[in-house]
Amino acid sequence: MALDLDSIRADFPILSRRLEGERQLVYLDNAATTQKPQVVIDAMNDYYANTNANVHRAVHTLAGEATEGYEASRTGIASYFGAPRDNLIFTSGTTEAINLVAYGWARANLGKGDVVLTTEMEHHADIVPWQILSKECGIEIRYVPLNRETMTLDMEAFEIAVEDASLVCVVHTSNVLGVRNDVERIIKLSKLHGRNGKGAHVMLDAAQAAPHERICFPELGCDFLALSAHKMGGPTGIGALFTTTEIMETMKPFISGGDMIETVTLEGSTYQKGPHKFEAGTPRIAEAFGWHAAVQWLDQYNMKEVHAHVSNLARWTAEQMENIPGIHIYGRHDLETTSGVVSFLHENIHAEDLAHLMDAGGFAVRTGHHCAQPLMEALGVSSTARASFWIYNTKEEAEAFVNHLRGVVDRFS
Amino acid sequence: MNEWPAALQEIIEDFRDCFDRMERYELLFEYAKRMPYPLPIEDWTEENRVQGCQSEAHVECVIDDDDRFHIHGAADAQLVQGLMAVLAIGVDGLSPNEVAQLTPKFVDEMDVKASLTPSRANGFLNLFEMIRAEAEKHAK
Repeated sequence: MALDLDSIRADFPILSRRLEGERQLVYLDNAATTQKPQVVIDAMNDYYANTNANVHRAVHTLAGEATEGYEASRTGIASYFGAPRDNLIFTSGTTEAINLVAYGWARANLGKGDVVLTTEMEHHADIVPWQILSKECGIEIRYVPLNRETMTLDMEAFEIAVEDASLVCVVHTSNVLGVRNDVERIIKLSKLHGRNGKGAHVMLDAAQAAPHERICFPELGCDFLALSAHKMGGPTGIGALFTTTEIMETMKPFISGGDMIETVTLEGSTYQKGPHKFEAGTPRIAEAFGWHAAVQWLDQYNMKEVHAHVSNLARWTAEQMENIPGIHIYGRHDLETTSGVVSFLHENIHAEDLAHLMDAGGFAVRTGHHCAQPLMEALGVSSTARASFWIYNTKEEAEAFVNHLRGVVDRFS
Repeated sequence: MNEWPAALQEIIEDFRDCFDRMERYELLFEYAKRMPYPLPIEDWTEENRVQGCQSEAHVECVIDDDDRFHIHGAADAQLVQGLMAVLAIGVDGLSPNEVAQLTPKFVDEMDVKASLTPSRANGFLNLFEMIRAEAEKHAK
């Protein structure tokens, strides 16, 4: 059954916004953040208007309702990802989730002689923490290269490199190329051959994958899964690290303070068990309500249909753009698994100029290095322009985008 | 309304005659080509780099023997180079005193500021401040 785009679009108030000169907004920066359906906005407003209280401590009515709603959000979000509630640690987003793996798990469990294997395709969030940790505790970082011909990870190189790896950290779906890595095979190889046959831990950066496919954490079999709410219709400021109870027991908190303790004396403290041990301070309560509403909203749809819709739009757009003189596309839009991202450059219009000229037509696209400078270097460019589609984008919007881009190239190149 | 140097006033009026944002961008692309003293790429250094621009932009100020102010510069993005050229043409040959008294408000009057994202606006303000500070250093 095809998605009812009119009904989907009606759920997003911002999509009817008119810009300067009464231009209709065409929002194509979904890989940076998606727009929010009304139910998410309502859930957060309603929380602040009717429930607002701090959680986990006070006994008054509001505090009880806030705690109940916050923990119900944990259960609902975890369940969307096929996981028990105590596998979900709330974080500020994917970046903090990866930092939690680095400082909570790796710092306590890895050291000199251990190899963290990551890739050239990563977001800076999956590179910088490892570089800092490497200076601190002597772990070695190795990078799986991008195959420049196929625009996919060099899996032959991965197979060799994984043998020495204690931890494998890979982006599930690239925010620049839209390419989906064969994460199932990466996990299998890491478990079979990693750490010289003893099995490596695996962390997946699923920030770009969660809006495109239904991810089941236990089924995937990775040890850590990091993601953000705001790229899947939820609010900014909240995300999650999924990991198992057994692994949580081997992790040390790297942010400490209130809410994560069991007892505190002047001599020392004991910590809570499970996810709460890693959630110091007043948590993101309204954001948890909002994210819960977002997964309930998304749950109405078959994510295979959502992916097919978004991927087809990106493929069609990339194919049309290839006919525009001077445009170069980066990615693999011939692959069915590719997400809704189309990265591109024009041979003599600067990416930043392109983004401004597209914005003048009402088209929101991103420009820059997309927090993936090593990947930019591998592609031999310093930045790209990027159009990225999601569930509410239409073929008419894609057509209008291509037409405006064609006009820009005619007029400015 | 501010009083601008004659050359700058003329440019401001050019922009105000534009029909829409695309036409203003087209004019900025035109100005980018008219940069009076383009700074060759081999002269792009960390010292003359404009901070805060998403693109590469470099600027140097030269005061000639007659105490006249000239801006040498270049950027890899045309819209940035266009803004730089507007300033370079608009103040070319003024005294450092006159340049030091300028404010960046002329961009509002060109009606392009609304088109500037915060990062670009900051980049432009940094560029303007580099030039103004240099003029102030040589002002008498």
